[in-house]
Amino acid sequence: MRPVAIVGAGMIPFGRRDDDNLMDMLAYASLNALDDAGLGDKGVNAVYVANMGAGMLNHQMSVASALVDRLSLQPAAAESIENGPASGGSAIKNGLLAVASGYYDLVLVVGGEKMRDVSGWRATDFVASMTHPTAEYIYGITLPGMAGMFTRLYMQKYGVTREHLVQVAIKNQEMGALNPYAHVESRITHEGIVDSWHSRVNNPPVADPLRLYDVCPVSDGAAAVILAPLDLAKQFKKTPIVIAGFGQATDTHSLQEREDPTDLKAVTLAAQQAFEMAKMKPSDIHVAELHDAFTILEIAESEHVGFFKKGEGAKALEQGKTKFGGQIPINVSGGLKARGHPVGATGVAQVVDIVWQLRHELPKDRQVQNAVNGLTVNFGGFGNNVLSFVLRRGEK
Amino acid sequence: MKKKIEIVAFKCKKCGKLHFPFHDRCLACKSREFDQVAPQGNAKLITFSQIFNLPWGFDNRFLFVGVAEFENGVKAMGQIAANAPEELKLGMTLKPTWDVVRVISGENVYGLKFEPM
Amino acid sequence: MPIDLELESVLRPPEVPMVPYPPKVVTLANGKQMVVREITREDVPRVLEAVRPITTYERDYYDIVASRVYAELLGWYRWRIVNEFVLIAQIDGMLVGLVNSRMLNAKTGMSLHTLTTDRGLRIGSHMFAAKMEHHIEYLKQEEVLIVAESPIGFRRWMIEYGLEPTNIPHELGGALSFRLSKELYFATKDRLVVGDRPVPKELLDKAMEDIIVVDEKTVAQKICGVKGR
Ligand SMILES: [Zn+2]
Repeated sequence: MRPVAIVGAGMIPFGRRDDDNLMDMLAYASLNALDDAGLGDKGVNAVYVANMGAGMLNHQMSVASALVDRLSLQPAAAESIENGPASGGSAIKNGLLAVASGYYDLVLVVGGEKMRDVSGWRATDFVASMTHPTAEYIYGITLPGMAGMFTRLYMQKYGVTREHLVQVAIKNQEMGALNPYAHVESRITHEGIVDSWHSRVNNPPVADPLRLYDVCPVSDGAAAVILAPLDLAKQFKKTPIVIAGFGQATDTHSLQEREDPTDLKAVTLAAQQAFEMAKMKPSDIHVAELHDAFTILEIAESEHVGFFKKGEGAKALEQGKTKFGGQIPINVSGGLKARGHPVGATGVAQVVDIVWQLRHELPKDRQVQNAVNGLTVNFGGFGNNVLSFVLRRGEK
Repeated sequence: MKKKIEIVAFKCKKCGKLHFPFHDRCLACKSREFDQVAPQGNAKLITFSQIFNLPWGFDNRFLFVGVAEFENGVKAMGQIAANAPEELKLGMTLKPTWDVVRVISGENVYGLKFEPM
Repeated sequence: MPIDLELESVLRPPEVPMVPYPPKVVTLANGKQMVVREITREDVPRVLEAVRPITTYERDYYDIVASRVYAELLGWYRWRIVNEFVLIAQIDGMLVGLVNSRMLNAKTGMSLHTLTTDRGLRIGSHMFAAKMEHHIEYLKQEEVLIVAESPIGFRRWMIEYGLEPTNIPHELGGALSFRLSKELYFATKDRLVVGDRPVPKELLDKAMEDIIVVDEKTVAQKICGVKGR
């Protein structure tokens, strides 16, 4: 396998994008990545499109073929990849393997989702369709509901409190407010979501013990990267960012079949594989994008990837270790919590954010100083399919 | 009308591991032979959530959904009859019933409904 | 325009005296203080400036809602609608939402509209609650009849308040009304109605000083979503 680098990255602002359909968003993000790589009028060998729900949400199938046509990339190979909220990570992995194998030299990976075409309760149902059809879905379980059940156990076992969850929400919305690509633009205050008695309306329970501000928004958005072999990467104008390692692991479909339902084994395994391949350890990482679809997940994942011991993630958060300027800044982009979570786009967007960090091209208020190595975790289902990437700043 | 609980768990004939829901191969030893095991007795609450913002198909403001373990070790998800989280405690005993849990395409769908005891 | 005063007195419907809504202040999730207060007829032209651009946004029935609000406010201003009240929400003077409603008679309220120009801070929920609060607690009504143009708004009110269906056609287009009874209101009040009184003088003065209307581009973005590649 030959080393692979990211030579172009692009995103469009996440949020409600009423004027754009899915194909528009995929095209815009792809063009941004192509331009970033300096490939404005050139082609690629293959296109991987991450998307979870075009069939259900937008009544459109075969979006990869449609995208090739929009971008006039024919005769590039193309396919869509659906792997739930981990579709983005999966598409990058497939693109990576295709280049690493030596088969393709230039690959476009783009992830996108148009979720706001449907009402909130339809979107909730769409996401819930990932759960087990007869053992879970029929009960009205939602992904926030799964996270609520997980949170209750995690609190009991590790002493995580509501206050810890609030700290994640405030931290990530604080950073999101600085990110022009973020869905949620406003900061939140402790007074507004906890202290004031008005918070009962501002921050009502969504899936007890999780409240409104513990949950990521439903977003439209797209993000893209261009992959190339590292030895070709030097021909591109931007500093190449090497995909030093990746990992992917699965776990049982139903939470109740896990020996310890608070143990996110797939996260641990995916991160371990990524570190091993990159010949790095958690302490080598300077910046991380974790899958905080729910505030509890940022804390749990920060432990499962090895930044902190099990049960010590909340303490690290309290001590400011995970904030911008801390020991290991997590979700400097605002995370899913603030950037938003267009499910198919997320895994790609996380990598784009790390690419920008490692190229040192972000504004001062969000740039982690001298960041060389970054980590992402893209969490599918409720942890039954997880991808992780370790990225490293390459030599210009 | 009381109805019989219709879920069935699967016990690996080779290693004895209990599964619910069904797997074509045992999670532990990959064997394909299972004995069917009906859940027995009452159930112990493992975890739960009071869920608001319900998906399409529900008109109620919230639902309680949780996971419980039957006396013979079968673990399953179900709805819980409760009005506030304070009414429930992890580890408490629940009485399982079989009732309509959802209407899908106009058809009643039956499933587990637990009642706190 | 010369007015035939005798004819005008026939056209102007008689009004039931209405007690004023005491202003309140709500702390939002972002920590900002939102003043909720009743406006007077004289404030209408200013508020119409904010409503006018929204009449063209198709998203979530904003166009219908805004067009009807426009007509209802104008009707109130020019004495063609009876017993109407309008509450607005302001942050640092900036108008971020409004609700309007009217008394059908002493017993029954007829809820008209809820319109917000900022999203994601639950301003609509706070304002709808304030409207119900005025009907039941200050105007001392027994019930409020409710419908909504937008399925999203409607489903939210129906589920949050547990509204009761009725066979009474609503003034807004004749759809059958849902009812918030006094009992339902008090059963849900704890969860849904918040705000502090009295509003500190400085805050209230700032709100009364001017109703600042957000620029059209910002409102369009708040309502129709983000743009840009
Ligand atoms: Zn076995």
